[in-house]
Amino acid sequence: MTGQTPPFPERKREGAAIEIPRTENGSPARLVTIFGSLDVKGGKRAHYIFDVGQQRYAEVALPADRPLLSLARRAPAAAWYERELQDQYGIEIVGHPDPRPLIFHDNWPDGVHPMVDPVDGVPWANRDYRFLEVQGEGIAEVAVGPVHAGIIEPGHFRFSVVGDTVLNLELRHFYTHKGVEKRFEGSSVTDGVLLAESVSGDNCFAHAVCYSQAVENACAIDVPAQASAVRLIGLELERLVCHISDVGGLCADVGFSVAAAYAARIKESLLQASAQCCGTRYWRGIAVPGGLRHDLDSGKVLELSQEVERAHREFSDIARLILETPSIQNRFEKAGILRPEAARDLAVVGVVARSSGVDLDVRRDHPYGRYEHHSFEIPVTDYGDVMARANIRIAEAATSARLIEEAARSLPAGAVSVPFRADGEMRGSSAVESPRGELWYWMETRDGRLARCHIKSPSFQNWPAMPFAVAGNIIADFPLINKSFNLSYSGCDR
Amino acid sequence: MILDVIERSLRQPSRLIPVEALLGNCDGSRMPDVVVDHLTPDIARKLSEVCPTMAFGIEAQEGRDCLRLSYGRCIGCGRCMEAGQGCVIAAKHFHWCGVTKAQTVRFWDIDGRAEITPHAPNPQDTRGQIPSLLQRALNIRQLDAGSCNGCEAEITALTNPYYDLERFGIHFVASPKHADMLLVTGPVTRNMADAVRATYEAVPAPKLVVAVGACGCSGGIFAGSHAIVGAVDAVIPVDGYIPGCPPTPSMLASGVLEVLRRRLAR
Repeated sequence: MTGQTPPFPERKREGAAIEIPRTENGSPARLVTIFGSLDVKGGKRAHYIFDVGQQRYAEVALPADRPLLSLARRAPAAAWYERELQDQYGIEIVGHPDPRPLIFHDNWPDGVHPMVDPVDGVPWANRDYRFLEVQGEGIAEVAVGPVHAGIIEPGHFRFSVVGDTVLNLELRHFYTHKGVEKRFEGSSVTDGVLLAESVSGDNCFAHAVCYSQAVENACAIDVPAQASAVRLIGLELERLVCHISDVGGLCADVGFSVAAAYAARIKESLLQASAQCCGTRYWRGIAVPGGLRHDLDSGKVLELSQEVERAHREFSDIARLILETPSIQNRFEKAGILRPEAARDLAVVGVVARSSGVDLDVRRDHPYGRYEHHSFEIPVTDYGDVMARANIRIAEAATSARLIEEAARSLPAGAVSVPFRADGEMRGSSAVESPRGELWYWMETRDGRLARCHIKSPSFQNWPAMPFAVAGNIIADFPLINKSFNLSYSGCDR
Repeated sequence: MILDVIERSLRQPSRLIPVEALLGNCDGSRMPDVVVDHLTPDIARKLSEVCPTMAFGIEAQEGRDCLRLSYGRCIGCGRCMEAGQGCVIAAKHFHWCGVTKAQTVRFWDIDGRAEITPHAPNPQDTRGQIPSLLQRALNIRQLDAGSCNGCEAEITALTNPYYDLERFGIHFVASPKHADMLLVTGPVTRNMADAVRATYEAVPAPKLVVAVGACGCSGGIFAGSHAIVGAVDAVIPVDGYIPGCPPTPSMLASGVLEVLRRRLAR
């Protein structure tokens, strides 16, 4: 019934290829990210990062002035990264199943690659962009966005439907692309954290900590115990706030507005407690390379932790009641199933992965900061539906509340930052389990300034999985499924 | 069960913040204020050096060296408060929400140690007109032109039980065709520029446009990026500016009411 027009002819050309590393048990390692950089002489390089287990990330780097053979057919998770390599660096990817431009839209001229070409006064162009056409009797196309009906970020969704049922969803994103990775270039290492904080506003603390850790790894310094403990509190609070907000958002999307308002109230109480404790509602300007910007009053941290305890008690109570509601079960169960095979192939991370049977959490797999001082369970289930993602969030909120309480109770005393010198050439990377999943930063300096900073954002990784969860559902369930993934547009688009 | 959730909800005391407490409140925003008694040429120079977005700068006004503070550029990073040796503190009250672009800029005569801002907003204006403002309804369409979603998170908070913007007759609507006001966040990215113009066109006249956040007011931390066109007013006409990174819900509510007041006063 559905005839697809193959828009892109297969190209037969040679290119350099990499071997996918294997983990200890012999299976192919999970792809973490792919990004480009320039060496001192201006030669292009492509970096492939894999999670090889045993608390190790492995890097495979290739010179990329010649074409590279696409990895996407062997590892579908590579598809968007390779398109980004083409857009940013003009690195030719041979045999890519979908080589269309990704981050720049119709008004960007062909052949201008911002990481290698001058970007002053880039002329406005009018390129063609072809969406996948799904043809057949009774198939209609529904185009949504970039401007959506609500207080949401922009993105474009193209649904092919038969009646109410979605046959195919095609995404077109990067409307909020701000050229962040390019903006890092030439910035001082200390200023870089301000950009990192502005990549994804509701996860700003995870970004600030991840960037700071990458710098600290590059300089081989350890931050003081108090700074690590406060960072842990901030990271877990961000997760707690995010999960509470998401459960409320799911209720809002099925018309259960009383529960949505209840969750919004709990979230607001935590933001106000944060403002009392550290001066900002979302923990901006707290984490910096070397530790913390300033000391936090231990009494105020304790007050925050008491507020967290109270807020979480209320949340777990209301969450239980929400999930016991038959009409909620009716909407959440079997909606938006992401199968474990698709989740693995697309190397999804975070709550989305753990709801689809992929047992993955940076806090345990690549421990950082003070996480080794705490024990915690990682909830995993393989139902893969909206209900599974709601359940995982509720379980994780409990863990976060407990970790905050433990850390606040035994807050170490002493300094909150150590001096560091960022001179000459350095490289560092770091991972953080952000509320949306694995966040990974890579930075390189030359003459003490940033030459390159790459952000692997969990949203960039997870968005391509969304169409697989949406296909077969009714179009009216899309907002619900989308909310259950809770992906950041800005974090993806950068 | 639904009834249990409703019962729990009804047992909650009201959290509503009275409008008098909302206006001018900026807790948790880290917007700076200058204690002019401590201002020296040395501190003024230091402030303009540490500010990452050039919100602080030194400019000549009426032939005198002045410290300039553009709230529209401030990302609330707090560096000025560390470098200012008591000369810069976190603002206790903030009256620069919903004002004109010229009004978001303050000047202090460095040698004379006095504020000489030419276009200062009058904080009593909105407060005095609350009753008349509340007799009207306002439909707002929020438009993300490329923000980091920090502003969206705070705008969403306006509908929670603490701020409850609906009490002022202010609603967020789904279509620009139903809107009186566009609340625009983010620097306008190259990829969003057309959509921003089209959304503006779709709002029926008379219409109000409010630029929200450091990015919306000035491009913020992203000013100068190849992937953005600029602040909101680089693409569509803007009636009022709400600084902050992100502005808190109180600042947003104050700003929306101030823009409304200015409109009615015209």
